[in-house]
Amino acid sequence: MTPEEEKKILATSPIGTWVILAIYSVLFTLGWLGMYALFLSHGPVH
Amino acid sequence: MSITAEHAASLAATSSRPAVTAVQAYGNKLGLWNMWVAFAALALGLPMGLFQAAERSGFFPGIENTAVYFASTSTHGVLLAFVLTTFFAMGWGYHTMAHSVNKKPFFGWTSFWVSLVGTVMAAIPLLTGYASVLYTFYPPEFAHPSFYLGATLLVVGSWFWVADMIIAFVQWKKENPGKPVPLVMFMFTMTALLWGWTSLGVASEAVFQLLPVVFGIAPTIDVGLARTLFSWTLHAIVYFWLMPAYIAMYVILPKEAGGKLFSDEFARIAFVLLFIFSVPIGFHHLYVDPQQAAGWKLLHMFGTFMVAVPTFLTGFTVLASMEIAGRLRGGKGLFGWIGALDWNNPFVLGGGLALLMLTVGGWGGVLNAAYTWDVMVHNTQWITGHFHLIFGGTTVIMYLVAAYWLWPKITGNALFSRALAVWQLWLYFIGMVVLTAPWHVLGLIGQPRRVSTTDQYAAFPEYAQMWGIYEAIMIVGAVMLVVSGFMFVYNLFMTHFNKVPAADTKVEYAVAIHEPMRLPNVLNSLAFWNWAMLAYMILSYGYPIVQFFFMEGHHTIPWGV
Repeated sequence: MTPEEEKKILATSPIGTWVILAIYSVLFTLGWLGMYALFLSHGPVH
Repeated sequence: MSITAEHAASLAATSSRPAVTAVQAYGNKLGLWNMWVAFAALALGLPMGLFQAAERSGFFPGIENTAVYFASTSTHGVLLAFVLTTFFAMGWGYHTMAHSVNKKPFFGWTSFWVSLVGTVMAAIPLLTGYASVLYTFYPPEFAHPSFYLGATLLVVGSWFWVADMIIAFVQWKKENPGKPVPLVMFMFTMTALLWGWTSLGVASEAVFQLLPVVFGIAPTIDVGLARTLFSWTLHAIVYFWLMPAYIAMYVILPKEAGGKLFSDEFARIAFVLLFIFSVPIGFHHLYVDPQQAAGWKLLHMFGTFMVAVPTFLTGFTVLASMEIAGRLRGGKGLFGWIGALDWNNPFVLGGGLALLMLTVGGWGGVLNAAYTWDVMVHNTQWITGHFHLIFGGTTVIMYLVAAYWLWPKITGNALFSRALAVWQLWLYFIGMVVLTAPWHVLGLIGQPRRVSTTDQYAAFPEYAQMWGIYEAIMIVGAVMLVVSGFMFVYNLFMTHFNKVPAADTKVEYAVAIHEPMRLPNVLNSLAFWNWAMLAYMILSYGYPIVQFFFMEGHHTIPWGV
């Protein structure tokens, strides 16, 4: 890898990370809402 | 066998190894002793976990024994949550102090011996069944005085370490005006400061509430006050455990992966936010306790949600650093960098697995922060599943890979087996998932935590029938974790006495893409955050504690006798 290529990589936004975090955020929110929908209506666990 | 200055000088003369200074040799030795105690605690504590999973299942009537179960649970918790963590943080902290700012501690061995004596004092009643209080300090349960004295000494020993870290930090800043404190030192000192603040709660509880009663000086205890003081410690202690794991992710993982840290400033911001938001939020452990009003619980709930911010920031910065490393290694496309990383490097593998466990554990943590959810799963196995995933998973796996990184540098010997380390980490990860996934489910279908045997629930067969399969799966996970733990200790032990010298013993931390030349004072000093913590603590714990002095308690002993 040339120094120019390395510089270019270091200067580029980590797009893969942004995409992973975006997917995670969606799953996080859906999972959160899903757990509430599934379990909260049952009330406290006995 | 740590490297002495003379040994290192002789090695340097005959090879390309760098010599270490006398201060670094001191830090190596101190670090090694502390961390051996930490991992001895891990080796002793893990099999107890397996015993508990088996005893509780009801599949092995021959081993069912309630007294032994609770003694084992208490010892397992103390060994892994208090001894492993405290000695690991102190050991790596002292090593960091020596290698990043070249400072020798004032109280290094005092800290070590006081903490060790405390650990032994606490261990005796634990192992003999006189301190089966589930490694918490929640009255009205009481343990033998030796347990409380020992635990207090462990905390006091760690305060010497806190003082050493702060002194070294301040000294270095004075000697290097205007320069950024090395990131690793900044992070460790923030961790030490956090521990200083958070341990005050349980220390106050022990000295002013528990010890007067167990020594017979006071007739009774103010349970509400004692539990409030314990909550002061109970959540932030988790961040004291977790922050060294994050340090490993920030300052070692990017370099081991072949890249650079995405942002030095992000790392500092994450740590000051972790510091400020993790202590004054302990009331989420008291959601169902009656002695605090709903408004204070609401304040603490909002604070608890705020902890997600530095956690997300950490996830982003570490993942971005890994992406940079993968691209520098030739990875192309949106996700090609993942495959380009060297997953046979224990540090890269451990870091990746830790992040995976953090995604699920962090999600569970945000769920738990909400009053509504917490009330639902309170005192169920969901909680134990959650904290095992975050602590036993994300945190401890980073301790393991940090040890694989540190041991060759400290001892001068090559890692005994890199392949064994990789297998061990995979087994640990799979074991932790197999253990904790059914644990969460058990909580949701109604199994209470802190039960010694499900046979006690024979009167409720509709519940007990549902639990069986999950109990069986958990035992498989626990076996995997115990085997993995012994593989780790074996590899470390063999490294310690390995005749093959390490190829690289130089301690180098990851550098950021843009190394800061100057930093705003708030990202390079402790004073502002210390005052901010004082203000936040007064706001969130001031009235809730002071109220007890004005209550008509039943033989209340607010502060001493």
